[in-house]
Amino acid sequence: MFKDTAPALELRGLTKRYDDGTLALENFDIEISAGSFFGLLGPNGAGKTTLISAVCNLIRVTSGDVLVFGEPADTLLARSWIGLAEQDINLDRFLTVRETLVYHGGYFGMSGEEADARAEEMIDVFGLTAKRDVRAPRLSGGQRRRLLLARALMHRPRLVILDEPTAGVDFELRLELWRYIRQLHSEGTTILLTTHYLDEAEELCEEIALIRGGRLIARDTAEGLRDDFGVNRLTDVYMKAMEVS
Amino acid sequence: MSGATGLMWLSKRETLRVSKLWTQTILAPVISSILFILVFGLSLGGRIKQVADVDYEVFIVPGLITMAMVQAAYSNNAATIFQARFDRYVNDVLSAPMHAWQMTLGFTVGGVFRALAIGGSLLVLAVPLVGVPVERPIALVVAVALGLVLFSALGLVAGIYAEAWDHTTFIQNIVILPLAFVGGVFYSVDVLPSPWHELSHFNPIFYLVSGLRYGFLGESDVNVWLSLGVTAALAVPAYLWAQYLFSSGRRLKP
Repeated sequence: MFKDTAPALELRGLTKRYDDGTLALENFDIEISAGSFFGLLGPNGAGKTTLISAVCNLIRVTSGDVLVFGEPADTLLARSWIGLAEQDINLDRFLTVRETLVYHGGYFGMSGEEADARAEEMIDVFGLTAKRDVRAPRLSGGQRRRLLLARALMHRPRLVILDEPTAGVDFELRLELWRYIRQLHSEGTTILLTTHYLDEAEELCEEIALIRGGRLIARDTAEGLRDDFGVNRLTDVYMKAMEVS
Repeated sequence: MSGATGLMWLSKRETLRVSKLWTQTILAPVISSILFILVFGLSLGGRIKQVADVDYEVFIVPGLITMAMVQAAYSNNAATIFQARFDRYVNDVLSAPMHAWQMTLGFTVGGVFRALAIGGSLLVLAVPLVGVPVERPIALVVAVALGLVLFSALGLVAGIYAEAWDHTTFIQNIVILPLAFVGGVFYSVDVLPSPWHELSHFNPIFYLVSGLRYGFLGESDVNVWLSLGVTAALAVPAYLWAQYLFSSGRRLKP
């Protein structure tokens, strides 16, 4: 069932052309090792969210293959291994904090008892105890962001995908989220992070890929990228890679 | 992993939504239908007396129950899927380890549950109020099941295609409600002059009303097999249409 030697994520020749003709990804190949902390950097429209959506079965892929731990991404098994926190807050407005977590666990195959216990654990870990019976629309921005992350982790995924998890959050919450994410990685979870914050990518990621216009521009450690581009800061790497300097 | 647990939780979520909003989803349509029975049945009943050997206040109950149930099934499912698309929490379901058929079925359950809650409540109230009988329970169950599959599925399809809230309400107000009103809810189409009598036979809700009326009263404007056949012939493709949208991802996934 689970192929130990398989990469956490493997994209082969992935192409996505939207109905309006926009080519978001073109023949995109990438492989991300199991257990790694991988960052995806690129400007708006580079294809980051399209790539994530392809992995999570949220778009209709034009062509190519997506494998998650060796399994095609559209199989039920592969889906059960992925946890996604999307860039925008997309919480069910009819559910409370506890229900959001329990129902998500249920969708991902957890029994009621298991989901209840895990939800309480996540509520505690993410500091949402006082809000457990409050509906999502009544939460503050920071609480919603924490709930979004808690929901992504609810079913203990092997691959966690975080699409700009700290966009628009204050500095304190950002550090708090970094702490959660680091702890998660230290427990063996593979993490794919997209971010606009270069310091965040450098701080957290073992390896970084730069994408632009649906194509992979460069991929290495932060140090390797600086060496490859002959600059001292990741910001300069980014500027050079995106040809904006 | 079979996705069965996911289906159970999705069904539970859809019924929870209906229960949480019960004053809006169940109480309001029950009150308005009971008012129809009281106002039309008990007041006009004094003048109209009988339709096809049945007291008028009894005659209109099956049609009113049908009208309330189909509207509930349609509007519930159109709203739930449109809201989920609009707020994009539908992604939590679309990315989950469930088969497309399980998603279709799970989202269908809410409309069926709401319609049954309304229909059951109306029946419980109508029996002591006007003494409506249930002469053919099996036919009634089959007609209700087919009608709910048809309108729950149509609700899903409309909610998936809708670009704005008013698109879903447009179909309800401009198509379903008028067809229900002219589908023999308040009268027997046999009394209509030509061409209205013939035109009524092109109205799909007429067959559903007839099917339910046969289940309640043991008689109706058309043969029960024709009623059930026409409703089934519409319910199956409507459900397959909803299923196609979930399996292909069309309109749900860019």
